[in-house]
Amino acid sequence: MDVFLQIVVNGLLLGGMYVLVSVGLTLIFGVIRVANFAHGELLMVGMYAVYLLSKYLGLHPYVAAGPVVIFLFIIGVAIQRFIMQPLMNADPEIQIFATVGLSTALMNLALLVFGADMVSVQATGLRERFHIGSVRLIYANMVMFLTAVTLVVGLDLFLTRTYMGRAIRATSQNRLAAPLMGINVKKVYVLTFGIGAGCVGLAAALVAPTYPVFPTIGTYFVLTAFVIVVLGGMGSLYGAFAGSMIIGLIDSLSGFYIAPDLREVVYFLIFIIILIVRPTGLFGLGRGSE
Amino acid sequence: MNQDIVIGRGVSASTRGNPLRALVEPRVYLSLAAILLLLAIPVGVDSAFVYHVFVTICLYGALATAWNIVGGYAGQLSLGHATFYGIGGYTSVLLLDHYQISPWVSMWIGAALAAAVGVAISYPCLRLRGPFFALGSIAFLEVFRLLVTHESDLTGGASGLIVPLKIGWKWMIFREKYPYLLIAFGFLSVTLLVSLAIRKSRFGYHLVAVREREDAAMAAGINTVKVKLLAVLISAALTAMVGSFHAMYTTFIDPPTMFSLEFSVQIAMFALIGGLGTFAGPLAGTLLVVPITELARGWLGGAAGGLHGFVYGAVLLLIVLMLPAGIVGRFGGALARLVSRLPGARPTEDPEVTAELTPVVTAAAAGQPVLVAKNIVKRFGGLAATDNVSLELRKGEILGLIGPNGAGKTTVFNLLSGFLTPDSGTVEVVNESGQTVSPKAPHGFAHAGIGRTFQIVKPFGKLTVLENIMIGALHKCRTISEARCKALRVARHVRLYDDRHTIASNLTVSGLKRLEVARILAMEPQILLLDEVMAGQNQTDVNLAVEMIRNIRDKGVSVIAIEHNMHAIMKVSDRVVVFNSGRVIAEGAPEDVVQDPAVIEAYLGEEYMHAQAI
Repeated sequence: MDVFLQIVVNGLLLGGMYVLVSVGLTLIFGVIRVANFAHGELLMVGMYAVYLLSKYLGLHPYVAAGPVVIFLFIIGVAIQRFIMQPLMNADPEIQIFATVGLSTALMNLALLVFGADMVSVQATGLRERFHIGSVRLIYANMVMFLTAVTLVVGLDLFLTRTYMGRAIRATSQNRLAAPLMGINVKKVYVLTFGIGAGCVGLAAALVAPTYPVFPTIGTYFVLTAFVIVVLGGMGSLYGAFAGSMIIGLIDSLSGFYIAPDLREVVYFLIFIIILIVRPTGLFGLGRGSE
Repeated sequence: MNQDIVIGRGVSASTRGNPLRALVEPRVYLSLAAILLLLAIPVGVDSAFVYHVFVTICLYGALATAWNIVGGYAGQLSLGHATFYGIGGYTSVLLLDHYQISPWVSMWIGAALAAAVGVAISYPCLRLRGPFFALGSIAFLEVFRLLVTHESDLTGGASGLIVPLKIGWKWMIFREKYPYLLIAFGFLSVTLLVSLAIRKSRFGYHLVAVREREDAAMAAGINTVKVKLLAVLISAALTAMVGSFHAMYTTFIDPPTMFSLEFSVQIAMFALIGGLGTFAGPLAGTLLVVPITELARGWLGGAAGGLHGFVYGAVLLLIVLMLPAGIVGRFGGALARLVSRLPGARPTEDPEVTAELTPVVTAAAAGQPVLVAKNIVKRFGGLAATDNVSLELRKGEILGLIGPNGAGKTTVFNLLSGFLTPDSGTVEVVNESGQTVSPKAPHGFAHAGIGRTFQIVKPFGKLTVLENIMIGALHKCRTISEARCKALRVARHVRLYDDRHTIASNLTVSGLKRLEVARILAMEPQILLLDEVMAGQNQTDVNLAVEMIRNIRDKGVSVIAIEHNMHAIMKVSDRVVVFNSGRVIAEGAPEDVVQDPAVIEAYLGEEYMHAQAI
């Protein structure tokens, strides 16, 4: 029973990390309707930024979160403005290729600049364990979980209580009607991509203490993030949260009860089933909204 | 000079029936010469490195061309094509390892396996659009990779498999380099030939139609699911065969290399860079990118880890932003025009045709019911859009369907043409041989002889007017040239002959409406469902439309027409059915229906009565 509880807690905390990575993706996918295949590379860029800041300026990764979030926000804005915006009316296949090209270019650029070796950020005690009852937890994972909850609640408040947030939601629901109501759609998209990328920056800062950094680390996360986003429903923050918890639990449970190397098979199969049966996801708006 | 923009140049009159004469055409002899260079250059230079580069070009070109059949022609963006490549590679190596089967034999087994897998995984995913299909294909690729890694007893798992080194043509393993080049060139030629054959065939036209507008393709009688699955089958088989050969070439396989997402993305990339959906595009993209990166890798060596990947990504981004149609898409037309000035080119002319429509002969006698709907019901949520409707269409009559907006007229059309299935009730059609059938799905209804137009026109916007009509003509015609003749005739009949080479999206509203009718007429339906063909047109065009409908009927076609133009519908209909809120509220001769108080209240209004002085 203790083992089961430990596995469940591991799963939930893992889910917390996934929330941080997939929240940005669900915003971008849900509002701009672009499958950002470069999402993992944005995480990778963020992690390298955290690494550089901690190595050369001695910043604690959590402190580095501030500048890294801003840095990724600017990158997100630039991507939307200079790459995606000119393609706004192009075929969706063309848009996909743009993000794929960006992903390949970024990943290999990192390979050129940093080489393939793994580097690590100083853990500064974040990888230490503590106990709640019989369950073992790692500080860094706990921090990620709590930040994930805060992030989701905060973004939800932004989306529901502010004008800009409502403008973003309106644009995601009807791209043609929104400008008729005075919403500057280009600005909404730029801001959304920026926010989405900023979330990934936050994820990078919090993930860096527990994962090594190397050029292809993005690929480990991006597919899982897509699974979560589709499962939870594009554009739904609470969907991303629920999806992350589900995937985290499946990951943890199947890793222990089935086989460690078949974890991903389980959730890819679930992904395929969702795609076929209900592609709009658990919290999506139903058929036709995709 | 004829230029079919999207589908490709028509066969010139003088070469029809004699393919060897085609060799004289500059397009053909230049292309052959260019392809043969791929063999000539490495043999001439005779360096192991150059051989390797050209083998890579041939193989990637073959893979990209095979991918293009699904990703370009069929428009389904697969980013998991390495699934098939891996199946081919592993099948060959395992069969060689355990049973000493020659790769020349096992590659066919691999191809069959990959084709079956392809159909199985694509069928449920066909409804998925754009990014969702891509994600699905990636998910399947990952599942395969993980399963192959896991089943290490069978497949060698993560440590991979070494190909047993048996030398000779039987085993596809050689000491010299040039046999590899010959085989790789062979694969490239085969994939190019298959791709070309598809392009010029009826199947190719069907693929374009399905890619451009799936519902209009369904209305033209195309079984869109079958068409897409066939494309996947061919593409998967070709990809697997290349995978088998490549395994022999590299002599070592493991799951990450054989089921590689990066590799899947690369072959798709080459097709896009060259021109998605064009014939020569994938090879052109490969020719542009591979030599650059292989040379860079050769010169800079290990210090440039990641350089080739960066070049791929950067080139892709540049092409997407500046030349989304790809190299061939953007420059192909201009190049073709240049090439056609060379000696040997023959101008292609459209044959002269009359405007006579083929009479439609069916087994049914005049006045007999040919389309019968009994008690059909269709609900959307709580709303009964069609509420217990029964109607019949008799042979040779023009039936008018009128009623206020939202009455459910188009829903009934959808039910009568297979685009919607009734929740209860039946729709029966007496087909041309006199049998009564209950068709399913739009293409089933089309085979029973029903053609329908859409209220909001659905042209194949990027194709020319002639190509649009040909898509309909291919329903009954088996060859492209037959379809072209019929399409020209129909174009004359609807007064679109002069616009036949105009891109459809450039037509006026009146032209688009006529094109919609033309495409369906070319199918030679026995029953025609016209949804508001007169909407938004001026009086002259309305009168011409009335005349056109009468001509169509005189040729033996039975017509149901939805219209709001009361004047026109009264002139042209033999009988009228009136709808309101999903139900039939009146039926009969036009003069009688118009005086029915229920109809006046629901639709016509008192003013109409006074205006008609009835």
